[in-house]
Amino acid sequence: MTRLKKLLPHIVLMAYLLVILFPFLFVLFSSVKKDNNAIALNPFGIPKQFALGNYVEAWVNAKISTYFFNSLYISILSAVVSILIAAMFAFAITRMRHFKISALLSGLILVGMLIPNNALMLPIYLLVRKLGILDTHLALIIPYIANALPFSVIILAAFMRSLPGEIEEAAVMDGLKAQGIFARIVVPLTVPAMVTVFIVNFLGNWNEFLLANYFLSNDSLRTLPVGMVQFRDQYQMNYAQMSAGIVYSVVPVIVIYAILQEKIIEGVTAGSVKG
Amino acid sequence: MNKALKNPALYVLFILPCLILFAMFFLYPIVSSIRFSLTSWNGVSSDPKFIGFDNFVKALTEKRFWTAVRNNGYFILFSCGIQVPLIVFFSLLIAHVKKLKGLYKTAVFLPSIMSTAVIGILWGFIYEPNIGLLNNILKVFGIEPLYWLSDEKYAMLSILITNAWQWTGFYIVMVLAAIISIPRELDEAAAIDGATAVQRAFSITLPLIKPIISVVIMLSIAGAMKAADIVIVMTKGGPAGSTDVMATYMIKYAITNFKYGYGNSISVLIFVFTLILTALYQLLIARRSERIEY
Repeated sequence: MTRLKKLLPHIVLMAYLLVILFPFLFVLFSSVKKDNNAIALNPFGIPKQFALGNYVEAWVNAKISTYFFNSLYISILSAVVSILIAAMFAFAITRMRHFKISALLSGLILVGMLIPNNALMLPIYLLVRKLGILDTHLALIIPYIANALPFSVIILAAFMRSLPGEIEEAAVMDGLKAQGIFARIVVPLTVPAMVTVFIVNFLGNWNEFLLANYFLSNDSLRTLPVGMVQFRDQYQMNYAQMSAGIVYSVVPVIVIYAILQEKIIEGVTAGSVKG
Repeated sequence: MNKALKNPALYVLFILPCLILFAMFFLYPIVSSIRFSLTSWNGVSSDPKFIGFDNFVKALTEKRFWTAVRNNGYFILFSCGIQVPLIVFFSLLIAHVKKLKGLYKTAVFLPSIMSTAVIGILWGFIYEPNIGLLNNILKVFGIEPLYWLSDEKYAMLSILITNAWQWTGFYIVMVLAAIISIPRELDEAAAIDGATAVQRAFSITLPLIKPIISVVIMLSIAGAMKAADIVIVMTKGGPAGSTDVMATYMIKYAITNFKYGYGNSISVLIFVFTLILTALYQLLIARRSERIEY
């Protein structure tokens, strides 16, 4: 009886785990089956013959490599620039001696957190067109940088506020100016918070779909999520190959997650509570 | 000391990049959205025509707009009514077990870091009528194939299930963190007094995690109002507009049909509805779950 009591929660949780993980297995198994017919005949199990050709064809047909590197560089560049701009701003409003205006500015940024940014997509589309960067990577990079600012500022400012004042007193004694205090003292100390913010921003950019879908029409510029959807629409009938495409786009995320999971969980959940 | 850090020129230099981007991508779009919502404009020609509140009248009297509103409502109801109880249940279970905690936590969180677009594709395959996973499972029980995404009866439900599949684990990890931060002594003292695990969950843990549940509800509402990409990827709003949400309805009109003015009036309405919901939430839920000290 007590054994059963101990086992019961695990049975329920394992069932939930199955619901989460089985779709991934289903796609993985399907990706090595020859065609739709092979999937239909044996939907659940591992195939007898591995059709690895799907991976080669998906890589070529879906142009995964192009999309992958587009996504990678857009996501990293936007996240890094965003953090830099946010860190400067956070430093100014938390450590520099202009208190009244700083209080006002931090209130303003907080409001930015509350704005449902999907609703702003149309005016941003117009703005991007006016700037003449529609259908270039800048059409994504600049909005991504801007979108990540409120969250980045809030987290970095909270962290910088908690640094003890003695540190910069000592720095001033040693003759450092404000920019020196920022670059040599505050930024190095803020690295842990920056890593968290980077992960959140990177994942957000990596997964972003709406802007990427509507702001770029040139195929070679597309990012991975949009490229995948397009690939699906083109090869709708070939599920085996489509599964291989899904595997390509899911595996990098799983690998990164396996390495950084603690940091990712911490960062993403901090992001949702918003400071 | 104060001198080094009281440097107006540097201060301006440091805040300016952020402020400019903020003004361009947050403040200006709001103003622009309100302005164009009062016009009839195709988004390209040089002269938006001022038409007052006609767009709003049109939206509020159009059936398909209300279908979209209703679908946003389904998102909210599904996440608060079905997901939240599941989230609490599974968090309590994971907190309760002694072994494999880490595995459960890592695994349930996984879908929430994936791209919604890819998840939409993956589940589109699962829902596929002939070879998809779901109908294959149903076949084992002798149930005829269902057309999940192309039948109006099931399409919205299919999207909601996918959305729940992606996000439940994310909230579980949040609630779990709150449960683990409760001092152990409370639980242990109750256990010594003879309370069963179920009793302890209901009378000790649950009341203490009310604030985080309230946050989960708020985030679910915000997420429900933002939902768009999953709908675009899975059904494109179809069949016959039955799965459109406000954001996809807005995109359809503004970008696909060149009714830019009308699209902006929808974006203003999304704002207004979000504000109303936030206010309601603050009044009804947030107030009742003030921070608990222990």
